[in-house]
Amino acid sequence: MDLRVPSGWFFTLLGVILVGMGLIAPDARAALTDVNINLYSGIAMLVFGLFLLLMARLAAGKSR
Amino acid sequence: MKLAPVDYIILATYFAMVLGIGWMLRKKISTSGDFLTSGRAVPVWITSLAFIAANLGAQELIGMAASGAKYGIMTAHFYWIGAIPAMVFMGLFMMPFYYGSKARSVPEFLKMRFDEKTRGFNAFMFAIMTIFSSGISMYALGLLLHLVLGWNFTASVLATAVIVLAYTYLGGLTSAIYNEVLQFFLIVAGFAPLAILSCAKAGGWHGIVSRLSQEPAMTHSWKYLGSASQNPMGWDIFGVVMGLGFVLSFGYWCTNFLVVQRAMAADSMSAARRTPLIGAIPKMFLPFIVILPGIAAVALAQMAGSGGAHLYELPMKLGAGGVSVPDYDQVLTTLMAKFYPAGILGVGLTGLMASFMSGMAGNVTAFNTVFTYDIYQSYIRKGAPDQHYLKVGKMTTIVGVALSIGAAYLTGYYNNIMDMLQFVFAVVNAPVFATFLLGMFWKRTTAHGAFTGLVTGTFGAVLIWCFTVAEGKGGVFGHLYTFRSTMVQNFWIALFAFSSCVLVTLVVTAFTAPRKESELEGLVYGLTKIRRDENAKWYQRPAVLAVFVLVLAVILNIWFA
Repeated sequence: MDLRVPSGWFFTLLGVILVGMGLIAPDARAALTDVNINLYSGIAMLVFGLFLLLMARLAAGKSR
Repeated sequence: MKLAPVDYIILATYFAMVLGIGWMLRKKISTSGDFLTSGRAVPVWITSLAFIAANLGAQELIGMAASGAKYGIMTAHFYWIGAIPAMVFMGLFMMPFYYGSKARSVPEFLKMRFDEKTRGFNAFMFAIMTIFSSGISMYALGLLLHLVLGWNFTASVLATAVIVLAYTYLGGLTSAIYNEVLQFFLIVAGFAPLAILSCAKAGGWHGIVSRLSQEPAMTHSWKYLGSASQNPMGWDIFGVVMGLGFVLSFGYWCTNFLVVQRAMAADSMSAARRTPLIGAIPKMFLPFIVILPGIAAVALAQMAGSGGAHLYELPMKLGAGGVSVPDYDQVLTTLMAKFYPAGILGVGLTGLMASFMSGMAGNVTAFNTVFTYDIYQSYIRKGAPDQHYLKVGKMTTIVGVALSIGAAYLTGYYNNIMDMLQFVFAVVNAPVFATFLLGMFWKRTTAHGAFTGLVTGTFGAVLIWCFTVAEGKGGVFGHLYTFRSTMVQNFWIALFAFSSCVLVTLVVTAFTAPRKESELEGLVYGLTKIRRDENAKWYQRPAVLAVFVLVLAVILNIWFA
C-alpha cells in the first residue's frame, strides 16, 4: 500500500470541508481571529492532499 | 469550548481513516516478524516521520506549550541541544550496529553483545516504563478532554484506547508506523495555524520579544544560562549541555526502543541510518509549532483588549494552600478556543487526538516486541513455532492496552506519577546509554562489567533521588542537597547514573575475561565493516545529511540565543 494515497485523499477531503466552511461562513471567527482561517488553512490542506496524490500517481507510473 | 457538527465530522473521518489503514494492512501479517518488526520493509520517508511522531505524544504537545508559557524559548533546548545532536549520533554511529546485528529489539542487541542477564534487566525495566508512559499520556488526554469539552473521562479514555488497539492489533507495527505518519501531518495541520495566528496577534517574534522585555529570559535560549539564578528554569550551562544535551537526550534517542524500533523497520541499512537524520529536519522546526504558541500566550496575556480586559488570560487552578496558580497544561487548549472557529477547531482537536494515539501506539508496539521476544520467548516458552509467537504478540497488544488503561487510573490516584516518569527516564535511559557506548566502541567491555555497571547506575540514580530534594520532591531517606527545580535534579541524576555506570563497568571489565573478537563481529566498532554507500547519490549519504542537519541546528541555536 502506498501511504500517500490514503493520506492524500484524507487531506483533500479535509481541505474541501474547510474551504466549504470558509465559503459558507466567511465571517466565522473565534474571539481573537482576524482572518478567514478556515478558508486559508483549507486551501493549504487541499494543496497538500493533492500534492500527495500527484506524487503517488507519479510513483505508480514509474513502477509500471 | 463547544464543538460544532463539522468538528465531529472531521474527528469521525480521522477515526475511520486510522481504522481503515489498519484494515488494509491486516493482510500483510503472516509471521511474528511482520507483526512485531514490520518485516523490515518500510520506506525511509515513512520511518523518518514515524521516528519523531512516536515521541510526539499528547503529553509532549501539551507539556511543550506549557513549558513555553512557563519558561519561554529555553524549552527549545530539548530539541536544539537535546534531540538533534543525539539523532545525528544515532544515525551515524549506532544504527550500523543495531541494524547490522539483525537484532529485533534493543534488549536483544544487549544479549548479542553481552549476555542474557543484561538483556533481561533492560527488557523488564523497559516494559514497565512503556506501560507507565502510555498510561500517563492517556491520563493527560482524558483529563484535558474532560476539562475542555466536558467529555466523560472514562468514556474518552476507553474509546481512544480501543481505536489504538484495533489498528495495532490488525496491522501490527506497520499499521502503527503508517498511522504515525498520518498523525504527524495532522499534528502539523492542526497546530501550525495556531502558532501563526497567535504569534501574528502578538506582533510577530519581535512583538513578543518587546512585550516580554520585563522577562528577557523568556525569549533567549542561551543568554541567561550562565548562572542558574538568572533564568526561570534554574538551569546552569553545564547541567544543560552535559545532563540534557549529552546523557539524557542521547540516552533517550539512541537506546529507547520506542524510537529505535522505527528505524529498525526500515528497508535497508542505508535507510535505517538515514531515518533519524531525515527525521531531525522536521524535528528541529517543531518548537515553532509546539513551544511558540505558549510564549505567544504570555505576550497576549499582557496586551489590553476591549473593555480593559487582557486579550488572553492564563488559565488558573487552585494550588497548594488555596492560592490560585497558572495551570500551564491548559494553555494549548485555551488558546485553541480563543483562535479557532468551528472547522479548524475540529482539525486542532483531531491533531491533539492524533498525537495521543501516535504516542500510545508507539509505546504499545515497543512493549509488544520486547515482551514477546525478550521476555516470553526467552524466559517463558522457547522454541515454539513462529505462529505461536504471532499469536502471543497479538494477545500482548490487548494486554498492553489494558495495562496502560490501568496505569492511567493509577496516575489519577497518585498525581506524583507524572513527575516520576521524567525521573524514570533519567534512571532507565542514562545508564543504558553508558552501557551501549562502552559496548559498541570498546571491544574489551565484558558482560559482567556491563551488567554490574547497569545495575549500579540504575540503583545509584534512585539513591541520589532519595537523598536530594527539588520542589519538595525526593529526599525520602535524607536531605543532603536541594536542586532549583525537578528538571535540574533529573539532569544531575542522569549524569550521575551515566558516570557511575561507566566507572563500575570499567572496573569490573578489568577483572573479568573479554569475549573472543570473532564473536563480536557486527556488534563492536572496529570489528565491523561499515558499508560505505558509494553508489548512493551524494544527498543520500548519512555523513552529508548529518552535516546539513547540524549546520541548521547551529543556526537555530544562534538565531534564538
